[in-house]
Amino acid sequence: MEESSSGHLRGTAWLFGDNIDTDQIYPGKYLPLTNKSEMANHAMEGTNRGEEFIKNVKPGDIIVAGKNFGCGSSREHAAIAIKGVGVTLVIAESFARIFHRNCVNTALPVLELKEVKEIRDGDILEVNIETGEIKNITQNKVYRAEPISELEKEILKAGGLLWYLKLVKW
Amino acid sequence: MTIIEKIFSRITGKKVIPDNYIWADLDLVTMRDFGGPNVVEEYKDNFGDAPVFDKNKVAITFDLHIPPRDEKVARNQQILREFAKSHGIKLFDVNTGIGQHILLENGLVKPWSVVIGTDSHMNLLGAVGAAGFGMGTTDIAGALYRGKLWFKVPRTLKIIINGILKYPVTAKDVALYILKNLTTSGALNRAIEFYGDAIWMMNLAERITLTSMVTEMSGDIGFIEPDETIFDFLRAHSATDIEPIKADNNAEYERVYEFDITNLRPQIACPHSPDNVKNISEVAGKKIDQVFIGSCTNGRFEDLKVAARILEGKKVSNGVRLIIVPATMEIAQEAEKMGLYRIFLESGAVVVNPGCSLCTTGHSGILAPGEVMVSTSNRNFIGKLGKDAEVYLASPATAAASALRGRIASPADL
Repeated sequence: MEESSSGHLRGTAWLFGDNIDTDQIYPGKYLPLTNKSEMANHAMEGTNRGEEFIKNVKPGDIIVAGKNFGCGSSREHAAIAIKGVGVTLVIAESFARIFHRNCVNTALPVLELKEVKEIRDGDILEVNIETGEIKNITQNKVYRAEPISELEKEILKAGGLLWYLKLVKW
Repeated sequence: MTIIEKIFSRITGKKVIPDNYIWADLDLVTMRDFGGPNVVEEYKDNFGDAPVFDKNKVAITFDLHIPPRDEKVARNQQILREFAKSHGIKLFDVNTGIGQHILLENGLVKPWSVVIGTDSHMNLLGAVGAAGFGMGTTDIAGALYRGKLWFKVPRTLKIIINGILKYPVTAKDVALYILKNLTTSGALNRAIEFYGDAIWMMNLAERITLTSMVTEMSGDIGFIEPDETIFDFLRAHSATDIEPIKADNNAEYERVYEFDITNLRPQIACPHSPDNVKNISEVAGKKIDQVFIGSCTNGRFEDLKVAARILEGKKVSNGVRLIIVPATMEIAQEAEKMGLYRIFLESGAVVVNPGCSLCTTGHSGILAPGEVMVSTSNRNFIGKLGKDAEVYLASPATAAASALRGRIASPADL
């Protein structure tokens, strides 16, 4: 994983389709697990490339998905497992509301990008979290994602919602 | 401004526009027996014994596994009772009913309220002009501590329903018809406002049916501008300082949908998605094993009354189990007083104590492999109510008619 102080992330894209629900991201049968590293062993396990993902995913990798990523049940395990396996960013065409919240609240950044379909599996992406600029190093292209809001950046910087709420002076 | 823009503008003290990110003060933070124990654990891990932000703005409801079915559930409920007692929080125990309905019956929600809870159908509170949001455990834990949460102001869709409801077409049929058109992702991250003659004529129960199913459209919240029907109910349930809310005439909507229900026939959502909606005639005659009348979508007194009219003096078909569950104890008492219980029991129905009941895995009444159920609830995802079982979603009228026939049947065919 490479991360500069200016908020740049560089990683390999893992492609997933539309309407990936939280049961595919983290199957319900593992809900009783509470240890975060154990939970990470099952990230994306319910998807059609679950086995391949768990075997080969590296810290710094980036999940790139289609529409409505994280729909279905509100389980926070889904965000925790993805983060736990070392994924540093999720890019999708759109996110389900509660999953989006769970990611930000557990300090996993998410970006919405209209052109996700142009990204191919295994592409190397360099992402400026501050501006939303995504460089596709492999294809030599640049995309502009909706930048992360200032409010979300503050939560991410604090290490998640609860840390933010402990520290914030209103 | 639309209704949600008005609510968030008032709370933040500045004019918000869609896609803004804001911190909003909460009027009510709730949790229930499922999800609630995790919130308590996370709260204690992070904030120890710190008092909640305002004990008068917190409520705990027991909706799901009531009374508890096993030791694990009993322990979870005990955790919540202990937390409620130590923080002086209101708790509605196993003898009350479904959370959102309990909040409404206890004057805790009114127009302009911003309410969160560990329930994906909190948004049905839009039926009274309140902004209800389902949230994850971290959100609720943080909200309990600070009384504020972050929101992205949703864009608003306007849905106009032309024509009027004519029995046997009900609010549920309209909700399913809209779902068929919008699909389960059609309102993703959007608020909806419902307008039209059919809407103004709806009672609270019907408005709740419609707004609750905004969840199945992936919407954040569905609003119906509250009127005297709603104010009367809220006043009768000890809400005070009720203030009307309506969108501005020049409010900007992302998109406007118009539907004409003049020729609408009863609708049914087939397995395994709430938007797999057909005219009942397309599936009529399919043999069924069980019928469920209840849930936050269709468990109010008016829903039970429709079913009772159809069931009165008749028997549930041999081999079919009819399970009826009022949403709350107040509704159950009203149903008992009005003679509905006698009708249900004489028809051969099983009447269960108020709660969410057969909306969720792990409740008694779960189906065996291959069995078929007609349900008045809001979801029919695969495996949710039994492995390889099939669930059809329909109105209380269709559910009752089907229970009598032993097959999927339109109330019009009785």
